[in-house]
Amino acid sequence: MKKGRMNEIISDVRSFPSMSGTAVKVLKLVDDPESTASKIEELLRYDPAITANILKLTNSAYFGLPARIGSVRQAIVLLGWKRLGKLVMTSCVNAILDKPVPGYDLPSGELWRHSIAVSVAAELLAKELDIAADDEVYTAALLHDLGKLVLGNYVKEDLQAIEKAAGEGIPFQVAEREVLGTDHAEIGGRLLKSWSFPESLVKSVRWHHEPDGAKEPSVIIDLVHVANVLCLMIGIGVGREGLRYEPSPAATKRLGIKTRQLELVASQTLQWANELSDLFGAG
Amino acid sequence: MRHVVQVGDMKAGKDGDVVVTHALGSCLGLMVHDPVARIGGLLHAMLPLSKINPQKAQANPYMFVDTGVVMLFKEIYNLGGKKSRLVVKAAGCGSPMGNNEMFKIGERNYTVLKKLLWKNNILLDAEDVGGTVSRTVHFYMSTGKTVIKSGQQEFEL
Repeated sequence: MKKGRMNEIISDVRSFPSMSGTAVKVLKLVDDPESTASKIEELLRYDPAITANILKLTNSAYFGLPARIGSVRQAIVLLGWKRLGKLVMTSCVNAILDKPVPGYDLPSGELWRHSIAVSVAAELLAKELDIAADDEVYTAALLHDLGKLVLGNYVKEDLQAIEKAAGEGIPFQVAEREVLGTDHAEIGGRLLKSWSFPESLVKSVRWHHEPDGAKEPSVIIDLVHVANVLCLMIGIGVGREGLRYEPSPAATKRLGIKTRQLELVASQTLQWANELSDLFGAG
Repeated sequence: MRHVVQVGDMKAGKDGDVVVTHALGSCLGLMVHDPVARIGGLLHAMLPLSKINPQKAQANPYMFVDTGVVMLFKEIYNLGGKKSRLVVKAAGCGSPMGNNEMFKIGERNYTVLKKLLWKNNILLDAEDVGGTVSRTVHFYMSTGKTVIKSGQQEFEL
């Protein structure tokens, strides 16, 4: 590991652009039992881009409302607070996750498509397994690879050393740690912590490759972990490192998932992921 | 013309065309070419058996190896391909690390393909399958040339 490298990476975490102010405010309002639909509407009025995205998402087949929604107020009434929070989060991270990612060689838009796909797959898994996972699963899945945006430049710089280490039969994130002193999951966790996100979300991102490393096992970490490997396998957001990650047998055991269920979720994920990620590309 | 095949899809091409598919992880990439008719097709199938989701299979048979391979051969015959002349190559079917059987979708894709081909007296002429890499395939209709790219490596299959 190069000296001072870790300090450089941490300083990049600190200077990473934060979530949009609107997103943070809306998420606070969503959590606040005192807030009202009109407060949220008022806030979103000044952010036409987010409003447009929310309406697009609300009207997508995935969130499946029977009638066409034309206003934020209608969306709030029909979706409820929590689901609205989910949509705001999706709209806000689009701009961050849409970028190309060096090192992992993901072209522009591919990390975004992967993040959406993992969110969809994690929710479908929860449904298939009758796990009452709340909206946190969706958000954790959406943000799980955030750390790649910071670590990508460092991975690119030391790609040969990392690939050499990974070539010796260790998972890619372990090779990142050997060479860089940290990995993209840890950096993702640090980013969310610096944005004051709830601890459970921080942990889900931090341990998404190594769910058994968390102090307490968590169904959300396990779902994100399995959904992530599955999406890479079906080629959504699979980068230069290919499939050099190891699904945890303990996590699949804790979830009680069967092969049939995993394949069923794979068959359902693709269409929703394409539909949702294309909503933003369509302008 | 250049055709790009998405996951769970198939594209056929004629002389002068190139058919491309990206990001073959555990999915199967199957390339079938007739060097005389100079036509061919590329299937990018995700899962081994259509019975896992019959509704999906009806809407999109290319998502599954069992239904997709049959449809690919049908298309090749429709375009004038002759069984005796066909050159068949496979790529992809990778798996993540470790021994978690559930995640060996790539191996199951490959097994179903081999069974289907065996039942129909068709042999694979070349293959680049398994491992943990993600593959891109360029398949040229004029000659049947098949180029695989994975990471830094690029070679002709």
